[in-house]
Order: sequence, then C-alpha cells, then structure tokens
Amino acid sequence: MVSQELASFFEEGIGIHIGSRSAALEPGGARALAAKVEDHGASLVVYMPALFADQVLPDLQSNGQAAVLFGRPIDDRSVQVKGTFVDVRPGRDDERAMVQAQWEGYFANLALIGIPGAVYDRCPRWPVLAIRLRVTALFEQTPGPAAGAPLS
Amino acid sequence: MSVTLESLATCFQGLLPAELFTCSRDGIPNAAYLSHVDYVDPNHVALSFQFFNKSRRNISENPQAMVLVPDPDTGHIWRLRLRYVRSETEGPLFERMRLRIEAIASYCGLKGIFKLRAADVYEVLKIEQVAEAPDPAERVSVWRHADQRPADPVFTMHALQNLALRLHTAESLEGLLDSILVALDESFGFRHSMILMPAEDESELVTIASRGYSDSGIGSESRHGEGLAGLVAEARKPIRISGLMRGILYALAMHHHATDPKKVIIGRKIPLPGLENPESQLGIPLLVRGELVGVLCLESEVPYRFHEEDKQSIEVLGNFVAIAIQHMQLQERSVAEAAAETTGAVPASPEPPVPSPLPGRHQVIYYQTDECVLVDGEYLIRSLPAKILWKLLTTHRDTGRAEFTNRELRLDKSLNLPEWKDNLESRLLLLRRRLEQKCPTIRILPRARGRFALELCRDVELSVRP
Repeated sequence: MVSQELASFFEEGIGIHIGSRSAALEPGGARALAAKVEDHGASLVVYMPALFADQVLPDLQSNGQAAVLFGRPIDDRSVQVKGTFVDVRPGRDDERAMVQAQWEGYFANLALIGIPGAVYDRCPRWPVLAIRLRVTALFEQTPGPAAGAPLS
Repeated sequence: MSVTLESLATCFQGLLPAELFTCSRDGIPNAAYLSHVDYVDPNHVALSFQFFNKSRRNISENPQAMVLVPDPDTGHIWRLRLRYVRSETEGPLFERMRLRIEAIASYCGLKGIFKLRAADVYEVLKIEQVAEAPDPAERVSVWRHADQRPADPVFTMHALQNLALRLHTAESLEGLLDSILVALDESFGFRHSMILMPAEDESELVTIASRGYSDSGIGSESRHGEGLAGLVAEARKPIRISGLMRGILYALAMHHHATDPKKVIIGRKIPLPGLENPESQLGIPLLVRGELVGVLCLESEVPYRFHEEDKQSIEVLGNFVAIAIQHMQLQERSVAEAAAETTGAVPASPEPPVPSPLPGRHQVIYYQTDECVLVDGEYLIRSLPAKILWKLLTTHRDTGRAEFTNRELRLDKSLNLPEWKDNLESRLLLLRRRLEQKCPTIRILPRARGRFALELCRDVELSVRP
C-alpha cells in the first residue's frame, strides 16, 4: 500500500520511469510523465507517452511484471514500486492538465539543480497511455547503501 | 550498428542521469538511476559498482541490461541494450571512474566516504534512438544559447597564435603564468582559472596564479588527493566534472546529509579560489617528462561547459604550457646565478630611495614550529616563503640592508633549500603576491635578474614565537 506521504511524493512532479521484462528476461523501460495513486494506495496509474508503448506494453500485457522508479532531482530521493499490470487505456482529456502539470513540475525541479528542462523537449507529451498497476511492493531507492531496502 | 558509441561521447559526461533496467532470475524487473555511464571502447560501456544493490544482484543472475542515456547536446535519448562482461577493480578505466567519484566527494568534504568497488564493463549489443515528439526545429544544444554560449569554435588558429605569442614574449615566471591565464580567458573564453604548483612538501600544491575570482586565493594549499587539483596531481591525469551540482547532491544523498553542500565543505587557512556555484570543472596535470610542474584548473558556472573536444585540446595545450613554465623556471635560476657571479652576492648598486614611512607599525610574528608568519594577527604565509620573509626582515632590521639576491638565499643554510629544483623563484613570486594582497606596505620589488629589494612603507616590529 502506498502511504499518503508517498502518494504526494509520486504526484508532485518528479522523474518517473517504468520497467518491464520480456519472456526471455530482457529488461525494457521507458520514461513516464506523470503518476496517480488510486484505490487508497493499492493501485498506481502511470501516464506514459503513447509513442513509447512498444517498449514496455507488450511485455506488461504478456507477463504483468512491472517496476516504476520515482526520483526527485533536487535531493535524489528515489523510491521504486513493484507491481503487476492491471489494464491500459488512453489518457483522457480531463487528465491532460494533470499530466502536463506533473511534467512541468519535474522541469522546475531540474531547474533547481541547473538543468534546463529543455533537454527533455523531445519527449512526447501527448497522447499518453494510462497504465494501471496493482502495487505489490515498495523499495527505498535513494542512492547509497540503503538502496533496495523495503518500505513498509 | 548504424549509430556508434563514439558518436555518443556527449552522453557519457554524467551531466544528466541515466536509468538502468535489469531483471532478476525469477522475472522481477528493476529500475535504478545511474550517476554515470562511462565510455570504454567502441563496443563497451562501464557502470560504476559502489553498493551491493538490487541491480547488481540481478546482473549476477541475469547479465542482460538496458540503459537510457540522454544526450545533453541534442536532447536525443538513446537506448543501449547491454550484456555484462566483467568487473575491473584496477587499471585505467577503474582509476578514471574512481577519480570522478572521489573528486565530487572531495569537493563536498566527503572524501573517502564512497568507494568504487568495481567498474562493471558491459558489451553494447544494440543502440536505438528513443521515439520523439515531432519537432521540425533541429536544436544544436540547449546548453549553448544566450549568455551561456562559449566563444565557438574555441580552439581557433588565431587563439593558438595568441597563446603562443604570449608564451614566447613572457619575460618572467610571473609574466608567463599571468599570460597563460589571460590567454585562456581572452582567446579561449575560459574565464575562471588557476595554476597550482608543487609546494616544498611534495604532497601539497600551492596556488600561484588565478584569474576570474573575487579573491585570488594566492598561497592557498591543496593536498594531493584532495579536491580537484589534488586529485589531478595524485593521479597525473585530467579530470573533468560536468553537472557538479547534480553530482554533489547525489553524493550527499548517499551520505544522508542535508541538501546544502556548503555545510560540509572543509575550511582552510587560505581558501582556494573558486566559484560559489561551479557546475563544470576541468583539471589538467602540467607534466614534463613525467615530472609534475603544476596543475591547471578551469571552472564554469555553466553545467556543461567543457566538452570532449575542449578537454582534449586543453590537454594538448597543457603539455606546451608545462614546458614553458619549466623552461622559465630553469632560465630564471640560471640567469640569477650568472648575474650573481658577475656582481657578487651583495649588490654594489646604491640602495634605492626609501619611501617616507606611513604612520603606525606592523606587528610581524614568526611561529617557528608552524613555520608561518602572521602580520597584525592575520595569517600571511607559511613554509619556505615565510622563512624567506623572516630572513629578509631580520636582515634588514639587523643590517639596514634592503637589497638581496636569489643566490644568497640559495646559499643560506637556514632556509634549507634543496640543491636541485628548489623552485625559489616561484616561492618568491608567491611571497610577493601574498604581500600585495594582504600587506601591501611590505613589498618585494624585482630590481634585476636574480635581484630584488625589500621595501617597507611602514615600520615593522618583529617577534618570534615557538
């Protein structure tokens, strides 16, 4: 279950990547733009550019195993969510502002450490896919010896 | 591969974080941030192994990996499909990666906290460009715009001619060092620079020239292995850091410190010159046939200021600069010796007119144990330059003599100069500059080759402490 504090962290506009793997255990992954915690912390919806679908979606639909990495540039706080694939749908128009706000929040965070958000200008912003995962585990991922420790 | 690893050199500066994707033997994917992906050769990259984390465990079970690396120049993101090959715990690759980690850790006072366990080498199986938003405007670089634009191209023939002319026409070590930094600024656009030279203690460097800083930091010291210059001196290899702020935050996150890097910066007797918020640093060893003549350090507030071609070009320049410095040191010594032999140790020329003393007097104290001089309670200098100053001041007090020769200093047993390569001229230059900066009423004025005068514009009271 994702706590309220963690949900706020996931949704504040930070770096997000979703990882998957093939039947041959080849890892795959792609950048996501936004995330939303639902079902009182039991589910996580990841908003990924539709152009990146081929990088993770076939594997997610095939074996269901997913890892989502959240990282905040200003302090490198990072958390990883393990989950299983539930479903996917196109992002709705009424979600566009939220997705845009999180993506721009990430840029603002990058700017604090001197990285212009324009370095990610080439990343597609819309349309997006909303990938729903059931949260199975949470791990500390902030760089250092504690990285990989489970979060209650 | 249609795209080569060499063509992605700008992706391997560590300016932007990369992401590593792995998978365990039982099929659980894992994603993690990487501080740095290092180029090894046209078919291999290396990832730093600092902690036994999940990614590392996965790799030991399943050697397949994938990384996403952004190109800071173009904004393209590249997907590298990898296979783990081996771990290196020594050798040039390991050293290069270790030094980068050490340089950042040392900068924020955390030297020795982080240990590179290994450089993990991966074969690059495939390079793919990540899909992009339709964008007809092909950008050159987001870093190179507006006021951040460097003088481009930097290493023009005109700029090189300018530097060469300055090297050829410099008449003293002081003039040469200043000329080098002026040329780097005016001809190459590197506005913040410093040169450090070996101190008497061979494990230390001392700043002898700087440009582009509000406080010159002349006389500040850096031990081998500490800070950028110290690490360059120890390794005798160039070190380049891009996105220093990101690296510092990463290091601090690892150490569970607060996010203010200033909290853990080590204090010094004389602060090293430096920008308040440097983003890019480049240190080059100045070597002549393996001998360390000095270290040239460049800094910038621009996160990605020193590109690969800059590093290579400055390395080449550093070779010529090192030869020029060493040649000037040898020339100054030989000319000083020749001049002394023709005129004798004690100058025959009349004493220069003594300026009218200003009111008041300086309290000058020499601390024997620390071999350092304080003027009016403020630290001035230590080690050989301090001993030289004390010798000059006491001689002047006892005999009234104000002119001296380099040679008599060399022959003075109390100074204990080495017979060969004593670097006396650079020590005198250091002393002169520290006095100019901290106590301009005590001056050391060059009179001729190998000859100088002590000029006191205010009376001094000398005392010795243990």
